[in-house]
Amino acid sequence: MYGGFRVVIAVLGLAAAASAAAADPSKVLRIAFPVQETGFDPVRVSDSYSNTVNEVIFDRLLTYDYLARPAKLVPLAAETMPEISDNGRTYLFKIRRGIYFTPDPAFKGQKRELTAEDFVYTFKRFADPKNRSPWAFMIEGKIEGLDEQIEAARKNGSFNYKATIPGMVALDKYTLRFKLKAPDYLFQYTVAHPPFGAMAREVVDAYGDDLQGHPIGSGPYILKEWKRGTKITLEANPDYRGFVWDFEPTADPWDQEVVKAMRGKMMPQIGRVEISIIEEDQSRWLAFNQKELDYLALPATFRPQVFGADNKINKQWTDQGVTLYRGIDPDIVYTFFNFRDPIVGGFAKEKIALRRAIIMGYNLDEEIRIIRKYQAVQAQMPIPVGVVGYDPNYRSINQYDPVLANKLLDYFGYKKGRDGYRTLPDGKPLVVHQATESAAINRDFNELWKKSMDAIGVRIVFDVSKFADNLKAAKACQLMMWGAAWTADYPDGDNFMQLLYGPNTGQSNNGCYESKSFDALYEKSRVMSPSPERNLLFLDMTRQMEVDGAWSLHVSRERNQLIRPWVKGYKKHPILSAEFEYMDVDTRGVSGL
Amino acid sequence: MPHDIPLKSATLTPREVPHTVSPGLWTLAWRRLKTDYVGTVSLAIVAIFVALMILSGFGLIASDWSKETGVNYAPPSFLGADYEGGTPAAPAEPAAAPPTASEYKSQIVDPIGDVIAQLKAGKAPSEVPAAPAEEEKSVDPLADIMAEIRGGKGAKKEATAPIEERKATLPLGGDKWGRDVLKKTIKGSETSIFVGIASAIVATFLGTAFGALAGYYGRWVDDVFNWFYSVFSSIPYLLLVLAVAAVLQQKGILTIILILGLTGWTGTFRLLRAEYLKHKAREYVQAADALGASNVRRMFMHIFPNVSHVVLVQMSILVVAFIKSEVILSFLGFGVPVDVVSWGSMLNEAQNELILGKWWQLAAAGTAMAILVTAFALFTDALRDALDPKLKGRLGS
Repeated sequence: MYGGFRVVIAVLGLAAAASAAAADPSKVLRIAFPVQETGFDPVRVSDSYSNTVNEVIFDRLLTYDYLARPAKLVPLAAETMPEISDNGRTYLFKIRRGIYFTPDPAFKGQKRELTAEDFVYTFKRFADPKNRSPWAFMIEGKIEGLDEQIEAARKNGSFNYKATIPGMVALDKYTLRFKLKAPDYLFQYTVAHPPFGAMAREVVDAYGDDLQGHPIGSGPYILKEWKRGTKITLEANPDYRGFVWDFEPTADPWDQEVVKAMRGKMMPQIGRVEISIIEEDQSRWLAFNQKELDYLALPATFRPQVFGADNKINKQWTDQGVTLYRGIDPDIVYTFFNFRDPIVGGFAKEKIALRRAIIMGYNLDEEIRIIRKYQAVQAQMPIPVGVVGYDPNYRSINQYDPVLANKLLDYFGYKKGRDGYRTLPDGKPLVVHQATESAAINRDFNELWKKSMDAIGVRIVFDVSKFADNLKAAKACQLMMWGAAWTADYPDGDNFMQLLYGPNTGQSNNGCYESKSFDALYEKSRVMSPSPERNLLFLDMTRQMEVDGAWSLHVSRERNQLIRPWVKGYKKHPILSAEFEYMDVDTRGVSGL
Repeated sequence: MPHDIPLKSATLTPREVPHTVSPGLWTLAWRRLKTDYVGTVSLAIVAIFVALMILSGFGLIASDWSKETGVNYAPPSFLGADYEGGTPAAPAEPAAAPPTASEYKSQIVDPIGDVIAQLKAGKAPSEVPAAPAEEEKSVDPLADIMAEIRGGKGAKKEATAPIEERKATLPLGGDKWGRDVLKKTIKGSETSIFVGIASAIVATFLGTAFGALAGYYGRWVDDVFNWFYSVFSSIPYLLLVLAVAAVLQQKGILTIILILGLTGWTGTFRLLRAEYLKHKAREYVQAADALGASNVRRMFMHIFPNVSHVVLVQMSILVVAFIKSEVILSFLGFGVPVDVVSWGSMLNEAQNELILGKWWQLAAAGTAMAILVTAFALFTDALRDALDPKLKGRLGS
């Protein structure tokens, strides 16, 4: 009896420890997606909202540090960072022991440990042409022996999952080796890319076409309930191994608060996450007003209701304890010129002068002040803040300067006619066409372009079409000018510079900019590991792009996140989108519900 | 009021047949209209608007509407400059630090760097020596840095219109660029009324021509037109408008006129077809037939004058409808191009402004449109009354 009693005590003690560690089911976080999710098979979906959910269900080999900026890679399912050898061609990962998939009928009652083989299998699923994965481009052409299998699968109609691919091998249960065709230091970002989390073959086979509704992973959350297009409910994974919140703050004062609230806690803390799909800005805004949402990215239209004349958050909100997180998103907005166009394209000096005059003539200040209502900052280089390669001291040489733009056009013989508009140096009419869409916001931009160009005597007209049609035409090098935006897939300048790389014409280089010197610089940077020397190459590429007048670089957009006082530990991550994995909800603070 | 019959003598020479000139339809109508107080006032208002349209069309007024005279969202003068704190303030923290000399020394060759450097240094384009021929490649690799040193420091940009000169208030307020809403409204009336009248002419012409052909010829011609009409009117109006807009693929006033004209003829067609059906059996048409008048002559010289009052009323109704339609089209983004202002484009801009509490553009364009449309509609009513001879009791004698 006595002994038995001790056992009981021991068990009770364990239970107490477990409940202290596990998430509290009474801690509920309510957030909203502005766009409908598509499904939860990470191999097949490309939208960032579905991937937000996938991010907390599946474990990647690597992930990102929550606070470090630029985002820093840290191990997740891997025990440590990979051993990189052979000049960045071989990656050796050690998988952590004791990671288990959440129990599912597909495992037939067995406890199922995550192994190196699961990653090999998952990567093969990305390559399988039958899955039509939007992420296949991240591994295609990179891994030794993989392309041959893809080719064979295209021919035979089915991918041979049994075949050994020399480029990705599970050396033993916990060791995984990748061999690449060429040195690529960015491969680490591929394995950290949120969709690349390990899946179990049994689950994929068991659910078949139903897999989108049965995401079985090993991460901190499980999908509890899914009402398509309406509501997604996540619950903390009761079998999750857990981790202790211990991230180093950066110089940002915001981090101090985050660290104070979170350090030392066993994660995850939030027991239940309720995600509502609310597409209308106004409905989302009202839901936040009614305290039905715990945090919200402020839609730009409602900015004046939050900010006072001093550009600080209104007293009405601070009285409620609402805090504001302001950050710059890792994105750039730009307008490109088509280098194959007979009017604005090419590398002749007068064409370069025309493009640069157009860039210098565009009144960016008014875009930020009037159209964007200060929810943006000027982008000085193609790499935004928070991404490796960004240089805060760099200033673009093509600043707004209509006087200089006029002089430049005069110098190169773009003479002004009687109507105030310039002609080409050979006397032919000069008309610049910009592609656009028909939304109200586009009209604002068109008006700004129109008056900016009128001020330097360049006649500009706007061709209205649908976004998808414009994109198609751009990829075929058929648009003269078009506005675009790009958000980081991974926190490295490479992701942005590839937009200007000649051979990417037809894929992402929509300006069809093919500069020999830019391409040489880019190719040089491709095989270098992240370093100050490589950052210098990014600056050279930026300057090359500027002297050629390839882009009119506009802004990086600002994010204003409103947060209710009971939400702890929020900080927007540039790459990860499921911040709630690292957050807490103070149940005592939730009042007035 | 019939003219007095001159009673000169009891015996009349054949040449002096007593001529009772009874006033024509139009004279009578005009007299009836004059007695209609509401109709006269509406006509005066419409006339004022048309006068504004013509004046601004010839550039006599509001030609400088696109000039940015006020501050961004300048409130109307009668509210005062302090209304709602005026313009949104700049961020408290400096938006961008003043350009500091970067550590970065570029090795990149700027092909037009030397030209830019000299222009920046204040030289006129004519003073700068001609660009060296492409082969020479004698480009100063330090050109950019030189330019930055010479031009970047202290050299203030000459902005197109300094903010200081801008007015804090405008008579009816300003839009987001600081343009005068009053002038925009006048300029917008030009577009809106012109579009309304021009597309009404197109639609009425089509409706009349089709109606005349169908009603006059009857049989298979009538069947064809009726079939066409039925198909046409079975398509939802907005869908039809968007389809025509998609086919024309071009933004501009002419496009809007065509869109509205090509889709708006159906009502006129039905009415005119009925009128022609009725009239072609009348004695005067049969008489004309007996005299050997051709079909076209009978249709347009004999019947048309007798149904023209219907056409006129139809046209007035369409003008009103099309002014509203232009607003809807512009609101949907299918409207006028960027450098043209219309009431529709103003209302389109206003949808976002309203959330910010800047209601004056909406008020100005909305009021102007409401007044014109109401006046035009009342005028049309009066016109119909005046032209309908069956309406008795109005004619003062």
